[in-house]
Amino acid sequence: MQSGSPNAIDLAIKYGFLVLMAGLIVFFGVMAEGFLSPHSAVFILQSVAITGILALGVTATLVVGGFDLSIGAVATSALMLSSYAMVVWQLDAVSAVALCLGMGLLVGLVNGLLIVKMKVPDLLATLGMMFLLVGLQRIPTEGRSISTGMTLPDGTTASGIFSEGFLMLGRHRLDFILPNLVPLSVVFLVLIAIGVWVFLELTRHGRLMYAIGSNAKAAGLAGANVNGYKIAAYMISGTLASFGGVLLAARLGRGDVASGNNLLLDSVAAALIGFAVLGASKPNAFGTAIGALFVGILLQGLTMMNAPYYTQDFIKGGVLVIALVFTFALSGRGGRARG
Amino acid sequence: MITRRLFTALAATVAMVPGLAFAAEMPKPFDKPAEVKIALVRYLSTGDFFQAYLSGVEKQAAALGVDLRVLDSRQDAALQADMVDQAIALGVDGIIIQHGLTESMQAAAQRAVDAGIKVVAFDVNVENPKIPQIEQSDRDLARLALEQAVADNGTTWTAGYVYVPGIAPLDRRDETWKAVKAANPGIKQVAEFGTLDNPIANSVANQARSVLSANPGINVVFAPYDEFAKGVKIAVDEAGMSGQVSIYSADVSTSDIAAMREAGSAWKATAATNPAVVGEVSVRALAQLLAGEDPGRSVIVPPTLITQKMLNELDIKNMEELGAKLPAFAHADVAVPAWMPLPKR
Repeated sequence: MQSGSPNAIDLAIKYGFLVLMAGLIVFFGVMAEGFLSPHSAVFILQSVAITGILALGVTATLVVGGFDLSIGAVATSALMLSSYAMVVWQLDAVSAVALCLGMGLLVGLVNGLLIVKMKVPDLLATLGMMFLLVGLQRIPTEGRSISTGMTLPDGTTASGIFSEGFLMLGRHRLDFILPNLVPLSVVFLVLIAIGVWVFLELTRHGRLMYAIGSNAKAAGLAGANVNGYKIAAYMISGTLASFGGVLLAARLGRGDVASGNNLLLDSVAAALIGFAVLGASKPNAFGTAIGALFVGILLQGLTMMNAPYYTQDFIKGGVLVIALVFTFALSGRGGRARG
Repeated sequence: MITRRLFTALAATVAMVPGLAFAAEMPKPFDKPAEVKIALVRYLSTGDFFQAYLSGVEKQAAALGVDLRVLDSRQDAALQADMVDQAIALGVDGIIIQHGLTESMQAAAQRAVDAGIKVVAFDVNVENPKIPQIEQSDRDLARLALEQAVADNGTTWTAGYVYVPGIAPLDRRDETWKAVKAANPGIKQVAEFGTLDNPIANSVANQARSVLSANPGINVVFAPYDEFAKGVKIAVDEAGMSGQVSIYSADVSTSDIAAMREAGSAWKATAATNPAVVGEVSVRALAQLLAGEDPGRSVIVPPTLITQKMLNELDIKNMEELGAKLPAFAHADVAVPAWMPLPKR
């Protein structure tokens, strides 16, 4: 008797979430016409591409036992910066993207230094950075959105345009099974997810970051450069967030004034749901990608069934709570040793 | 010496003449405009619309020469009420309440009226007969856009509708949409969606993609808020359906104009009130009150219909050109007594 029930619970913890997702796909496939099509699958991936990339960044900070509240603001700052660079400064796509990634890297570095050198708690440091960026991104345009033909504060008209190459990042589609099916942003999501997974799971650096996350002191005594890895984690997070912002700008084709709070919440939810996938009970890249996908499938299916936005928020919250119960209550006994 | 004194006197007289003429035409208290203090107490301030509204308020206040204070509560209803008290303490002569919640603002507005301060309210009902309401007519906005949809597509179409209930202007636009549907049984609404998740256009684009794939027969989308329309346009473009779907919306901005003018754009028309003009009208209505005139219980700023065709024919690229080339958009003949100085164009 002893051996039967723990196995069932273990199985439930390990595969419960994936079974739930499969069930969801079957349910929507039956209920919502057109849900089970290659196009629909691509829509889902596209809708989660940006939050997924941000979520992978958060995962990196969660791994070292930190947290990055500034990612949403970094993404919208990159959105504004790339638009400003092209429309006002008339830079080309490559410089605009490089500028944004540099900005993300710099923000991550400052976050890391605040936390490691100035000893500011991670939540507070990144919260401060979030407010700082939300304000900063609006100063150059006096709070207005950026688009070609806009009037600048000094009265002149901005004549730069979003270059074709830049817009391609968010709009170009590759031929895959069907012509013009897969948007580039989805390819980026997959590549970044694989990259972060390989880095965290298979390299010595990644394993050390997990070690720092579970016991920073022990990892430090064992010779790991704790501060360096922590700063690196925030720099990964900042860079990925700024890249998410670039993709957002390429999709919208304009610099939209937005706080990015929803991007933050959605990507944190995806990363936390990821804890429960395969019973990992810890931040992990595969789980984060599945978590983002799960939320995407849910929202796509509910929208196709004409569910209003508040029920979608409600269900998203419900999924997160269930995932956290999976992580903390059911698999709490095994804890991190399981991973 | 004499010549110099004469010269000075002449110069002084010449300088005084327009000033005298000006002052004679202006009713009290605008004969000494620099001593008139007004406050703008805002609830919403983030975004293009509110930025443009503020610029209109500033321009009209400058044209009058009055001292304008801007108090911005940034969506904090309690703080906004406190700010009215702050304005009373500052000793202002007039207050413009811009947006807010009836529940929190009603008592504060009453306190200002009791203190002898003239008050006007924009887009918030403070339930006070002494306070004129400045309104952009949302029903007219929706009506103009839908009339154009009917003119373009006839009275039989399959519609998608973007709506988030509980937002006052959207609710008013929704009333018109319901009325139009009732009057035209050929208009069949197969999907309703919408969200205010930031960035709105991106979130609505994701939803619209799902809706269009679930309902490929949709040929008209009514998206009565420009952020919604932007999102739907992204989805329509991504689905390669821009030849088959037409989008009708409300509100306008420079980037909306660019989106409407893209080659083959599905965004056919929008109806809009110029937020800067609404700002100007708010100040003018308050000035009328201060001068002892009655602007009326409700001051309605009429909207303008803007079609893709108009924008292309007049080659309009941004809001400034829209104002210059569509005069109806740049100025509303509302609250303009003869003495009222207007902002320079």
